[in-house]
Amino acid sequence: MKTGLTRLLPYALILLVTLALVWIDKPFWIQLAIGVAITAITALAWDILSRTGQVSLGSAAFFGIGSYTLAIFEPLIGLTLAWIAVVVVCALAATLLGLLTLRLRRMYFAIATLGFALSMQVLVVVFPDLTGGSGGIAPPVLADGDPRWQLGLIGLLLLAAVALSDALLGLRFRPAFFMIRTKPELAAASGVPVVRMKIFAFIVSGVLIGLAGACYGGLYGYVVPTDVFTTNWSVLPLAIATLGGMDTTIGPLLGAIALKALEEVARSVIGGTGYQVVYGAVIILFVIAMPQGIVGLLRKAGTLAGRRTAAGEKKKERERHA
Amino acid sequence: METTLLAQSLLLALTTAGLYAAIASGLTLEFGVTGIINFAHGEFVMLGAFLTYFLYEAAGVPPLAGMLLAGLAMTALSWLVFDGFLSRVLKQDEHNQILATIGLSILLINLAMIAWTPDARVMHAPPLLPALQLGDVIVPGNNLVVLLVGIALYAGMIWFMRHTRQGLLLRLAADDPQLAVLAGVDVTRMFRLSFLIGGLTAGVSGGLVALILYVQPLVGVDLVMRAFAIVALGGLGSIGGALIGAVLLSAAENLTATFVPGGGSWGYGVAFVIIVLVLVVRPTGLFGSERRA
Repeated sequence: MKTGLTRLLPYALILLVTLALVWIDKPFWIQLAIGVAITAITALAWDILSRTGQVSLGSAAFFGIGSYTLAIFEPLIGLTLAWIAVVVVCALAATLLGLLTLRLRRMYFAIATLGFALSMQVLVVVFPDLTGGSGGIAPPVLADGDPRWQLGLIGLLLLAAVALSDALLGLRFRPAFFMIRTKPELAAASGVPVVRMKIFAFIVSGVLIGLAGACYGGLYGYVVPTDVFTTNWSVLPLAIATLGGMDTTIGPLLGAIALKALEEVARSVIGGTGYQVVYGAVIILFVIAMPQGIVGLLRKAGTLAGRRTAAGEKKKERERHA
Repeated sequence: METTLLAQSLLLALTTAGLYAAIASGLTLEFGVTGIINFAHGEFVMLGAFLTYFLYEAAGVPPLAGMLLAGLAMTALSWLVFDGFLSRVLKQDEHNQILATIGLSILLINLAMIAWTPDARVMHAPPLLPALQLGDVIVPGNNLVVLLVGIALYAGMIWFMRHTRQGLLLRLAADDPQLAVLAGVDVTRMFRLSFLIGGLTAGVSGGLVALILYVQPLVGVDLVMRAFAIVALGGLGSIGGALIGAVLLSAAENLTATFVPGGGSWGYGVAFVIIVLVLVVRPTGLFGSERRA
C-alpha cells in the first residue's frame, strides 16, 4: 500500500530542512530546529516503547541519565568512550526498569515509570559529590558550541531514530508488537518471546532518549536536575506522539513540529509565565476532536476522498449503463 | 530526647496523613469507578486552596466555612469538566485518557499562574484549635484541624459508599460496569457522581492545604504525586488501601526527614522508592484487585 517514495519522504525532508537551515544560518531557525529534532527523537522513542503496550511516563529519567552520564564520564574516560557509556548506562537502566515493571499493567505501569523518573531526580540531589547536586553539572559542549554542527549532529540522530522506528514497523516486529500490546497471553502462547521483545523495545527507547538528553546537555554545556529530569520530558513525548499519531513514524515528527510551532506562537503572544496554557487547551481539544492524532485525521481525509472518487466512478459507470 | 523526637515526628506524620488520605481517597474513588487516573486532581486541590485563601483574606470568611465553599465550587467545576470533555474520553485508549487529564492539569496550572503569579502566599489565619501538648510533644492546633477534617472526609466517604443507595450503585458500577448496565444503572451518571465526590474532597483538602502549607499554582503537583504513590501503594481503586498508604507514606517521609541527614530534601523520592518496591512484590498494590489495573 505504501510506495517506496512516501517511505523515503521523512528522510528527505529531514535532510533537506537540516541542510537548508545550516546553509541559511539564521540562529533563531537553527535553535527552533534543534528543539524540534530533540523532542521528535524522544517522541519516536516513546512511541517505539508504546507499541509493546507500555505507556510510559518515565522518559525524563532516561533524558536526565543521558546528559548526566556524558557529564560524569567525559573527564574520566574521554569523549568517545563517554558517548558509548551513555548508550551502555541507558541500556542498563532500561533493562532494569523494564524487568521491574514487567508485570505491571496499564496505570500501574504509568505510575511506576513516573515514580522512577522522580526518584532519579531525587537521587541526583542526594549524591552531590558525584552529580553536583541541585547546582547542576557541566556536560562537554556539543560540536565546540557551533550551532550549525550541533543541528547537523542532532539531525543525524533524528535520522537514526526514524530509521529505527521504520525498522520496528516492518514485518519482522510489527505483528509481534501488536500481539503483545493487544493480547499478551495469546502472543506468549503462539511463541512470541514477550519478555525479550518488551525489554528490547525498552532498551531501544531508553537509549534513544538518553542520547537525545546527552545532546541537549551539550547544547550549552550546563544542566541542572530540574531542567533534564522535569516531568515535562516525560509528558512531552507522550503528548507529541499521541497528537501526531501513534504507531507511525511520521506522526511523532508532525506532532513535534506542530507543538513546537504552537509553543513559539504562544510565547510571543502571551509571553512570560503561563504561556503553556495553550498547551493544555490544545491537548484537550485534540483528545476530544482527533483521538487518532494528525495522522488519523489525514487517513480519514484520505479514505473519504478515496470513497468519493470511488463513488463518483460508480455513478459514472451507472450513467454509462443507463 | 530521641524518643521525644520520634514521637513528635510520628504525630506530625499522622496529621499530614489525614490530608494525604483525603486527597488520595478522592483520586482512588474516581479511578475505581471510571478507570481514569485524574492527573488534574491536584489542580482541584490547588484551586480549593486559593479559594479558601481569598475568601479569608479578602472577605473574612472563616477558613472552615471557606473550605466548605471551596469544596462546593470544586464539585461544580468537576461537573463542568466531566460533562464538558472527560465523559468523551471514557471509551478511548489509556494514553488519550492520561493525556486528557494532563492537558487539564497544564491548563489549570497556567491559568492560575496568569491570574495569581507563581509566588507562594501564606494564609494568616489564627489557629482554629489550641495546640495539643502530650508530655514534651506539641501538636499545633491547625495540624489537629487537618487531622480531624481529613478523618471526617474519609469517614464520610466510607459511610456514603457502604450505607447509601447511591454508594451501593457506585460500587456496582466500579465492580462490573456491564452488569450495572444490565441491572438498569445509569453508569454515566455513576461515573459523574464519582468525579463530583472527588471534586468535593479535593476542594475541601485544598482548604486544609491553605491552613498548614502555602498557596501557590504548583502546590497541587507535589501533593498529587504523593497521592499517586499512596493509591498505587494501597491498590488503585481501594479506598481502605488509600488510608493505609497515606499513613505509611507520611510516616516514612517524616522519619526520613527527621533521622536521615539531609533527608528533608528527599521529598517524595522516598514515596516512589517505596512504591516501586511494593509494586515489584505485589503488582496491584497492597489491596488492589487484578481486574482494575
